[in-house]
Amino acid sequence: MRKIKIDKYHLYELFSPLLGVVAAIIVLLLIGIAVGESPGSILKAIHRFTMSTSGRLATVFSVAIPLFLSGLAVSIAFQAGVFNIGVEGQYFIGGLVGALAGIYLPLPRVIHIPVVVICAMLGGALWAAIPAALKIGKGVHEVITTIMFNNIALALVNYLVNGPLSGRGEESLEAQTFHIRDTAVFGKLNHWFRALGWNIPNHVFMDYSLIIAIIMGILVWILLFRLRYGFEIRAVGTSIDVSEYAGIRVKRIQLAAFLLSGALAGLIGLQEIFAIRGFYTYEIAPGLGFDGIAIALIGRNSPLGVVFASILFAFLRQAGYGLQLYTSVPLAITFVISGVMILFIVVINEVVTRYIRAQRKKEAA
Amino acid sequence: MDASIIVDFLFKGLEMSCPIAFAALGGVFSEKSGVINIALEGFLIVTAFCVVWGATAFHTIWMGLVFALIAGVVMSLIHAVATITFRVNQIVSGVAINILAVGVSRFLSERVFGQETQTAINPFLFPTVMGISSFAFALIPITGIAWFVLYKTVFGLRLRTVGENPEAADTLGIKVYVMRFAGVMLSGLMVGFAGATLFPTKWVNGMTGGRGFIALACMIFGRWHPIGAVLAALLFGYADTFRIMFETQIPIPSQFVMMIPYVLAVVVLAGMVGRARPPASDGIPYEPGE
Repeated sequence: MRKIKIDKYHLYELFSPLLGVVAAIIVLLLIGIAVGESPGSILKAIHRFTMSTSGRLATVFSVAIPLFLSGLAVSIAFQAGVFNIGVEGQYFIGGLVGALAGIYLPLPRVIHIPVVVICAMLGGALWAAIPAALKIGKGVHEVITTIMFNNIALALVNYLVNGPLSGRGEESLEAQTFHIRDTAVFGKLNHWFRALGWNIPNHVFMDYSLIIAIIMGILVWILLFRLRYGFEIRAVGTSIDVSEYAGIRVKRIQLAAFLLSGALAGLIGLQEIFAIRGFYTYEIAPGLGFDGIAIALIGRNSPLGVVFASILFAFLRQAGYGLQLYTSVPLAITFVISGVMILFIVVINEVVTRYIRAQRKKEAA
Repeated sequence: MDASIIVDFLFKGLEMSCPIAFAALGGVFSEKSGVINIALEGFLIVTAFCVVWGATAFHTIWMGLVFALIAGVVMSLIHAVATITFRVNQIVSGVAINILAVGVSRFLSERVFGQETQTAINPFLFPTVMGISSFAFALIPITGIAWFVLYKTVFGLRLRTVGENPEAADTLGIKVYVMRFAGVMLSGLMVGFAGATLFPTKWVNGMTGGRGFIALACMIFGRWHPIGAVLAALLFGYADTFRIMFETQIPIPSQFVMMIPYVLAVVVLAGMVGRARPPASDGIPYEPGE
């Protein structure tokens, strides 16, 4: 049996993100005090809105589903050294392509949902394709092109939903498409959880997107840590020069990771479109793509890390609503805390890495 | 079309270009010193709010400008400490600051004006000249000064050296950290000007509309040169002005017109490759040898 040696430095590295979270909570409490709320009332408000009932707790997990997919999408690109800020635009387009398949294709239920999922992935990958090609072919930095493509996607979707694809009926003033066919609507899994003893109320969306998220998480984990291809992705992300020297086709790997990232991004909007709303609008939860960047960073780009980070973010988001509802702390605090938390996590991470390096040097000497 | 419309277009375009141009100058200062700054957007969100805050609090736009400049520098200090002192990944720090900025501006808006998503209307504005804010004309001398500082002063030479080859600069006795702090803080200062020219009548959540990111593209467009960056910004500003002024007369849907600057940016960037070269140590944290 392989002996697993856990040295204390690994533990330091593992726990440094937690320190960042703790620091962010302290900042939250300090701001709360400045606004005139006691730490007790803040913590009580957070607890009440996130954990006090099984419905509230389940909502945190439900909100975490698209956040997880977003973090997963960003992280696979990160693993290959690609900075995909375009997840935002990719899920707008991916969601639209998926929705079109859900609206216009008459298919039996068994095939319809997989088709919709595949279409959404293709749409996301398609929107990633041009920035990817420009990066690989011409060396144009992806940070700029993907930001531009986010704006282009938003305008394009805005046009399509208001124009050729508009299904605006009398009941809605909001620009939207026609409704998704019944055969493609995502059902809920709440009764499964009830059978397992977790009583999730019906208004909480524990829908098929949870299954999609779990499958994708496992597939990405297998790809990254069990397949040669995934090893090559990680090698490229670690050092392009060394990878090239080792004979890895860096450009091809980065292209694949970029497209894969786009494909995963295409799935982010599915919960909102196919379970919650039942139609597509260009107002589907904006900002998820940027949350994904933070989640990938906090989760250190590993699928398991992203699981925890996305639940943390979902918790934070719900906590923000709780604070808005029960205290005088404004909702904006969610953004402040997210930003502060990322900064703390990366700074503490740097400090810890440096400390470990210095200690190792001392030990070696 | 009569001449007055054309004159109007020329001046309005200058005003529209200002926020992007100042932010692009900010990008140039930061990246010339070797620090990638994708937090320009975040800086702009906060400075745009602080202009309105300062102006309404002190009943003069000049205090608004002072607030914006201070806010820009304070925000840039966060980026500088994270990336230069702690050597955090510069893009990561930028992403975090962009999120933080949304929170800070909304939080302050709620505290000061009682509403998270918008402020009260600010009646204290720069005097208008030819129908536009007179402060827009400051773009021309400030661009000149930026160019002079970067290319004609010892400080500028040191700043650029630190961005190209920090090891050599260090050997020559230039304090790399100090120069990089200066570069990043100057970028905050520039975004302070940008905030002051971004519709100081009122702050609305989301009003920056990605101008900070456009400014980044302009900086690359302008090959990291202050004058080039400002010219690129004018291109975007005039394209936007054209859309707003002639929207009703253009036969294609407005959303497509809205896309033009972004598509243009991608096309030009794609065509520019090989000719645009960032400062050699742009994005690489400097670690002094032991």
